[in-house]
Formats: sequence, C-alpha cells, structure tokens
Amino acid sequence: MAIGKYVDVFEAYDRFVNGQKMTEQEWDYTVVPRNAKMLKESYDLNFGHQIIPTDSEMMDRLFMAGMDMLLSTGIFCQDIGRVMNIEEEEIYQGLKMAPRKLTLGTGKEKVTCKPRRGNSLRKPVIIGGPTGAPISESILETAIASYVQEPMVDGIVSGVLNTINGRPAATNSPWEIKATMSEIRHVREATGMAGRPGMCI
Amino acid sequence: MVKNGMRNYDCHECSQLNELKVSTQFMNMIAGWHLSGDTIMIEQMPIMGGYVGGVEETAICDVASTLSSFVAFNCDIHLDGPIHIRWGNTTNRQSLQVAAHAAAALDANTDVLLANQYYTLAGPCTEMCFLETAAQAITDTVSGRELLSGVASAKGVSKDRVGGLDARMMGEASSAVCGMSIESINRILDNILYRYEPNYSTAPIGKTFQEIYDLDTILPTAEYLETYDRALNVISSCGLDF
Repeated sequence: MAIGKYVDVFEAYDRFVNGQKMTEQEWDYTVVPRNAKMLKESYDLNFGHQIIPTDSEMMDRLFMAGMDMLLSTGIFCQDIGRVMNIEEEEIYQGLKMAPRKLTLGTGKEKVTCKPRRGNSLRKPVIIGGPTGAPISESILETAIASYVQEPMVDGIVSGVLNTINGRPAATNSPWEIKATMSEIRHVREATGMAGRPGMCI
Repeated sequence: MVKNGMRNYDCHECSQLNELKVSTQFMNMIAGWHLSGDTIMIEQMPIMGGYVGGVEETAICDVASTLSSFVAFNCDIHLDGPIHIRWGNTTNRQSLQVAAHAAAALDANTDVLLANQYYTLAGPCTEMCFLETAAQAITDTVSGRELLSGVASAKGVSKDRVGGLDARMMGEASSAVCGMSIESINRILDNILYRYEPNYSTAPIGKTFQEIYDLDTILPTAEYLETYDRALNVISSCGLDF
C-alpha cells in the first residue's frame, strides 16, 4: 500500500514520543542482542574466514536480516525512553528518496560522490584529517595543512580542539561552541593557504 | 557579512548511539541542518564483540543502523566504523569483516552512499599505522564504499598524534586496488593483517605532529617518509603493486 508521507526526522520524533516505553538496559542487554542472534540463525549467516565476501546470496540474506532487524526491533531514543517503529514500505520508499549523488566542495575542489557499485575503477572520495583526535590550538592549522597538501585528499575531516584560548572546551558550554567555530576557521584557513580554498570540510 | 561557519558545500556530521539508538540532541541537530538544506553525514560505529555479539550479529546491526539513517533521519551519506571492543580500532580482522560484509550487502541491494572511518591502534610514523590504514582502505574500496574518512591514528585519543601521510596511504592503497578481483584482494589482506595482528598488545603509540613535520615548511621529516616507504615495500611484498 502506498505510504501517506515519507518518514523524516520530525515524524521520527513524533513516533518516539508515542512509542513503546522501554528501559535502556532492556534495549541494550536483551532486545538488540536477542533479535540479532535470532536473525543470524534464521537467515543462516556465517561469514567464515573471508574478509571481503564473495557469496552474493549471503549478502542478499544479510541485507534482508538488516531490514528485518530494523522492522522487528525499531530504534530506541535514549532520553525519551521509547521505541519508534517503521514499516517495510516506508523503508523501501525512504531508500528510493535517499540521495544517489552528492557534491562536496566548490570550484576546483568540487568532488562528486556517487554509487560505485562493487569495486569500480573509480576511486572513492578521500577525506583526510585527524578524524576527531585531540589537537593543540597552536598547531591545528598547520596539522590540517599537512592533509590539504596531499593531492590524494579531496576534503578535510578535522581534529578536535580540547582547549580554546587556553581553557578547556567543556561539553555543553559556550566554550565548546567557540572551540567548534575556531576549528572551522582554522581548517578553512589551512585549505586557503594551501591553495585549495574550495575544499569540503 | 562575514561567513564564519559551515558552508552549503561542506558536510555536517552527527552520530547515532550504540546500537540502533539515538538521542533528541541528535534529532535536533539534524532538524536544523535539514531545514537549512545542508549535507548530512550520519555516523554510527557498531561495537564488534560488545553486547550484540560476534561478526554476523554486528553486521546485522550495522545494516539496520545504516538503513535507519536514510529512511528516518534525512541522511545524505552514512559513515560507518565498526570498532573492536577490546582493541578500540577499526582495522582489526573482525571489524574489517563486519564493514566489508555490511557494505557489500547494502551496495548490492541499494544505491545509498556509504563511507567508513579509520581508527588505527598504532600511532603516526610507524609501519603498523600505515599497514592498518592500507588494510582498511583496501577493504572499503573493494567492498564498494564511496567515501573514506581518516585517519585517527593511535585510536584518535592521543593529543597531537596526527599526520598527513596517513591520509596519503589511505588514498594510495585505495587507488591501487580499484577494479581488482575480491579473491586476489582477500589473499593480500590476509598477508597484510598477518604483519600487524601479532602486535596489538604492543602497538607503538608513534610520534606527535611536532616531531614528524617541520612546522614552518609543513614538510614531513625524513624518518616519517622513510617509514612510509618501508610500509609501501611491505605492502608490495604482500602482493599489491602501487
């Protein structure tokens, strides 16, 4: 049956508010492990020793097991303390709506991300950077420049300033916001100074 | 007007919680970005060996979490990162297996955009860090992912232990395997993993950025470059031509 409306973050919030109550402990220690184990058995999944799979039928079964996990288990919201559920048709419609192409960066640094479909000859987009590792204020810009100057790198993922103006960038404080804004400025400056001002960050 | 923050060609990132779990803070950030037309990358790092169980159970949760990003939370690209409960890296055999199987399953059945992120056990300027990075880049590329994001060397928790050559290795290893057959790649991966798996409990923490780059010229030190070259030779001896 056709769906009335695609699920988005607002619909998801409403479903959480009206969803089934549950404790986080029950979710973590009972519901999720029990359902994952049950689905592993019912979809006959055994990866063996291969790191990258060659059994396409098993990959289809894994996909269906993941679908089934989402359908049968739902998603839990930690601070609302309730579960939202989603219907099969909503998953298929949501997947149809998902972007098949993404453009990152601008000007000469613009890169396009689109499905590679297996191990295509087209290389993935390379985003370089410290990936959230803590970095001193005094070297952030220089450290980021060390990634920007690598020709293989298409975009930047920043590190994290754990101090700002010498103060701790405490979570849920204005200093956290200042540290975040400062990170963006440093990264942007690094991309510009290395001659790649249009890089995605 | 001065534009201080993110721009519409940048990518906003926020994270689901483990496993199949979110918070209102997560949804609030997404709501703002979605209404502003921003690009949204949703991250979720399934815990391999945690309360969910082994590789198969973790991969099932990985697929389900990825699907939920796209069908409920306005995601443009999903950032994976199965992480080992004991070692805290994404480059161990089980994490690579989970990432590869989840990516291959999603790639074969959908058109969604898939990314993965890198947490190595060893720190910068070590052969092990480069080998770990190469192993994951090879795995992600061959299993069909569209974007690689890294590297948080020394598990991303040690201050200033970062360096641009790690990303160079990620890109070089990825490019080197594009189009290759899975069978040959699995043999190469086994060979690379055998080189660093025995060293988990003694993984070198590596050096700080200040120790491996000239801070004025932003050139890597000879030691950093030599370590990179040595790692390339090891990977070549494992069967991969650069």
